[in-house]
Amino acid sequence: MTTLSHAPASSRPIPNPKKSLITKLNMGTGIVVGVIFCWGTYFAMKAGRDMTDSHNVNKVLLMSMFAWSIGFLIGIGAFIGPFRWLIGKDLTDEEQLYLAVDGQGWKRYFKYCTDHKVVGIQYLVGVMALLGVGGTMAMMIRTNLATPGSHFVTPVVYNSLVGLHGITMIVAMIIVATGPFGNYIMPIMIGAADMAFPRLNALSWWVLFTAVPVLCSAWFLGGIPTGWTAYAPLSDQAGPGMNAFVATIIIFAVSTAVAGMNITTTVVAMRAKGMKWNRVPIFVIGATISVALAIPAFPTFMVAMIQTGLDRTIATGFYDANVGGSGWLYANLFWIMGHPEVYVILIPGVAALMEIAPVFVRKPLFSYNAAIAGFAGIAGLSVLVWAHHMYMAGWMPSLNGPFMVTTEFISVPTGLLFLVLIGTLWRGRPWMKLPMLCVYAFIWNFLIGGITGIYLSDVPADNYLHGSMYVTAHFHYTLMGAALTGAIGGLAYWFPKMTGRMLNERGGYISFWFIQIGFNVLFLGMFIVGAEGQPRRVADYAHLYSHANLISTMGAYSVGIGMIILLWAIVHSWRSGKIAPMNPWGAKTLEWTVPYPVPLVNFDQPPVVTSDPYGYGRSAK
Amino acid sequence: METATPSKARTTIGALLAVVLGIVVVAGVGLTLHSVSADPQPKLYATKVGTITAADGKTYNHYTIADGVYPDPINSKAHGNCATCDGGHPSWPSYGPYTDFVLPANSYITVTLTVYDSGEKLNTPYFGSVVGTVDGTVSYDGVAKTSLPPDGVEHTFTLHGLPTSTQDPLFVNVPLPVNTDAEMKAYNADPTKLPVGHKVVFSFLTHGAGNYVWNCEYPCGDSTYQGFGAVMGQLGYMSGKVSVVNG
Amino acid sequence: MADHESELLAPTPGARVSTFLKRKDVSQTLLLWVFFTAVFVVLGLWAYPKWMPVVLSKQMQANEDIMIWFTVISAPIAGVVLSIAAKSFLNMHRGDTPPEDGVAIRTNGPVVIVWTATSVLFCIVAIVWGLVALNTESIAAATDAPKSLIVDVTGSQWVWSFYYPQQNIHTHTLNLPVNQPVTFNVMSADVNHSFWPVQLGVKIDANRLVTTVAHADPTATGPLDVKCAELCGLYHAYMETSGAVESPTDFNNWVSSIQATGGVQQ
Repeated sequence: MTTLSHAPASSRPIPNPKKSLITKLNMGTGIVVGVIFCWGTYFAMKAGRDMTDSHNVNKVLLMSMFAWSIGFLIGIGAFIGPFRWLIGKDLTDEEQLYLAVDGQGWKRYFKYCTDHKVVGIQYLVGVMALLGVGGTMAMMIRTNLATPGSHFVTPVVYNSLVGLHGITMIVAMIIVATGPFGNYIMPIMIGAADMAFPRLNALSWWVLFTAVPVLCSAWFLGGIPTGWTAYAPLSDQAGPGMNAFVATIIIFAVSTAVAGMNITTTVVAMRAKGMKWNRVPIFVIGATISVALAIPAFPTFMVAMIQTGLDRTIATGFYDANVGGSGWLYANLFWIMGHPEVYVILIPGVAALMEIAPVFVRKPLFSYNAAIAGFAGIAGLSVLVWAHHMYMAGWMPSLNGPFMVTTEFISVPTGLLFLVLIGTLWRGRPWMKLPMLCVYAFIWNFLIGGITGIYLSDVPADNYLHGSMYVTAHFHYTLMGAALTGAIGGLAYWFPKMTGRMLNERGGYISFWFIQIGFNVLFLGMFIVGAEGQPRRVADYAHLYSHANLISTMGAYSVGIGMIILLWAIVHSWRSGKIAPMNPWGAKTLEWTVPYPVPLVNFDQPPVVTSDPYGYGRSAK
Repeated sequence: METATPSKARTTIGALLAVVLGIVVVAGVGLTLHSVSADPQPKLYATKVGTITAADGKTYNHYTIADGVYPDPINSKAHGNCATCDGGHPSWPSYGPYTDFVLPANSYITVTLTVYDSGEKLNTPYFGSVVGTVDGTVSYDGVAKTSLPPDGVEHTFTLHGLPTSTQDPLFVNVPLPVNTDAEMKAYNADPTKLPVGHKVVFSFLTHGAGNYVWNCEYPCGDSTYQGFGAVMGQLGYMSGKVSVVNG
Repeated sequence: MADHESELLAPTPGARVSTFLKRKDVSQTLLLWVFFTAVFVVLGLWAYPKWMPVVLSKQMQANEDIMIWFTVISAPIAGVVLSIAAKSFLNMHRGDTPPEDGVAIRTNGPVVIVWTATSVLFCIVAIVWGLVALNTESIAAATDAPKSLIVDVTGSQWVWSFYYPQQNIHTHTLNLPVNQPVTFNVMSADVNHSFWPVQLGVKIDANRLVTTVAHADPTATGPLDVKCAELCGLYHAYMETSGAVESPTDFNNWVSSIQATGGVQQ
């Protein structure tokens, strides 16, 4: 990497490896090759097969989807480097520099670009698109539930809406903080020049990108009837749309494995000189624990989905009791991923807010060690609690007691997270900017999400609440009220560094109140119908539940309007917002020491760290 | 690169327009989904034929409906009167030409179903029993029976709904008889040669107004788990709506 | 700010606590704590009995007790979090420049220990409560077994059906006699369902080719809603039926009327 100079981009010639294939490839060529692979596989496999047999349909569709993904990656040039290795070569220095696409303007966002800042922006835009799609589906769901017997959409479409809203949001929320901030901000925060594996970084984004059209294709293949949990054997029985779900998860699991490994390695190996473990910013700690937790979790989901795919294509019967399989096998595999996964989502959001709180309260983070203990304790316990989703499955009633114990104990490390936040707020005079408002919204929402989680983890109460709207309200409080609020706070906080401009304040505030008030109205209504006994995922319900459902729908519309205002604020500010100073919040982490645009290798001189970044405040004495 | 900071008024107008645009986009998606997913099925309204005194001694208005059960959606005309409308699924059985029914409240309903398909074994033997008809029987080609053998049922007409404080319960289950293998073989060779068919007649009482659904309990979703995928997962073939209305 | 300093200069721990409590921000926080705690206590005592359906069994009573008392027990802890957050919120600084730095409190050992100990204690209370309830229920299920009414429940896409082997009747509604324990043997004919007689407060999944068991002790008469709590495809929402917990006489009349029509409920 000798060619990577520390000189500013402007004083360096733009790399131009003219003959290299790499310069010719971009998202467009990827799509072309991907589509050719997809349709080629489709027609080749369809020929001579009896397409009235659902197994054959599943084979053809699944393989076509994977072919699209592989074709796209070939077409965008993801495999040029590995291919060269096969013949004992590698990319030339000039090609590597080109891949970082230094000085090439907006086109780099559509290339296999290895610059972590470009990948961060790609993730940010991708996440916003996914949240938009998922949110639109949420509006459809709430519209259908506004009145009993509304028939705004049919049960087929409703079930698909529920499932696709779920999986879209889960995918979006898994990457919502670690994608944009973990890629753009985190390497700068630890004083690194880039991620440990820049090509894998690009790969993780573009693999994820190929999953999006696959997931969307579910709509054109008849939808999915299973919800995002895709329980077997309902998934064995489901129509062609289910293949899109199976393929999406398998592709997504590859992306998260690559990204998780990359982020973990970067933080372990590439911290600036002097950044000992007790000087690492808390967001970095949280994001690292989160992705490290994802590394073992997602492969089980992938295995579960491979087995679903095999059941559906060659009738292996993993989940078919008629031939000796069991749906409980799926449920176990799914929740072994599923419960750690909610913390994969939650931890980076909380960690972002812990990064924000000291800056705006102008006080040190209260008990840095308790924060780490909280994250580590949650991560450790989260792999031992999965069967609390299966108390009522009948799988192993004798294990309900032990799983209740492990689950309840998660409230202890979770309590530490609250302690860190309120300890930081204590005696403070908070600077009430949008990121700080998000800290307060988080505390309120996560408190409700946390306490209702304690009821749900108690077996006798779960006897009543399991599978009801109460559960839906509970996990929206944690995933949306807490984690998404954390991510919005993070966006408001790091927006100046990522775009060079300040986020429009008025738009931010208005959207904040629309979202938070709407959110609480929405899910208060859902707690009520859940306690009253309305099952979740129902397209229609008894008149008894009509008032609270209507209230929920009105709350949902308020959230929707708030999100549109936020989107406007982001787009407007990105294009013509106030130019941001280098360190608008007066923060002490390293990312605020670099200018915008951030130079290719981030720092002109590698930084040296001599303390943790929370040295705010005057002495108490 | 740097543009002049837009005026406050322009920013506000821009924001409002963005919000309106956003709402229009979301509403547009919703309305598209609504119109795409709107039940394409025509509704069959029950026809009044007079009054009748039931076993409970009360006199009811007597209404009838007639429909068929076919081995394919083309013969059933459930999806429009054309041969190519459902070319994708020519082997899916279907009720037809109607799958949505509108019945008057507090009335005596007589249903005539002409059935042309074959069948075999139910997943749940219970649905071989006749439930919810006025006298507990169904007339199969003129012979009254209270049940069919659970391994010789073609499809079922199983009517149920949400128990709510504002609508009366309504539960009817009618198993339908099979046509012979020879007839089905002839049909499979030439889809225009439907079996002669069986005439199934039954009556039930509606109560207050309400929304109900019906579905088939015979596993006719071939090659899927327990036969409840494919056609069984879609509306308008082996499932539909029953609205009981006042007046 | 002077009082902060006097607090730290106070000679004994007792004196430090009393100066601490006299501080204006502390007393305001305490006031807020009382308010938030009271709100949560009232919410628990008022809302759950109002929202949750009529209690028709011991199991439902146990559920409702947990909902109410866990809310009440967690109220003081929620109060601490919310009062401190609210106090700092009310102390906000607005404007385009950051406020002056606050007090550099890096950590506070006793506070961390007390907080952790409190949450462990709360956690143990919740666990013990849950385990006792679980144990009570499994003992009851075992001792009730010989005198139980048996109901075989079958979930089929998208209809519940019931068979009472002791009475030899097939039904589509779930009627039960009051004050007699009941054992549900639950099966599915196809995909997973979840059998949920709402007012009885029990729930168990229906699986293909496996019988799962649930047990309930009906203690009061009233109408019963039976729902499916596991997404099961097209008509999941409509997989509901009704029933009742009724007096033994009414139940016997109901059984006889079904036996009179060939053992199948009409």
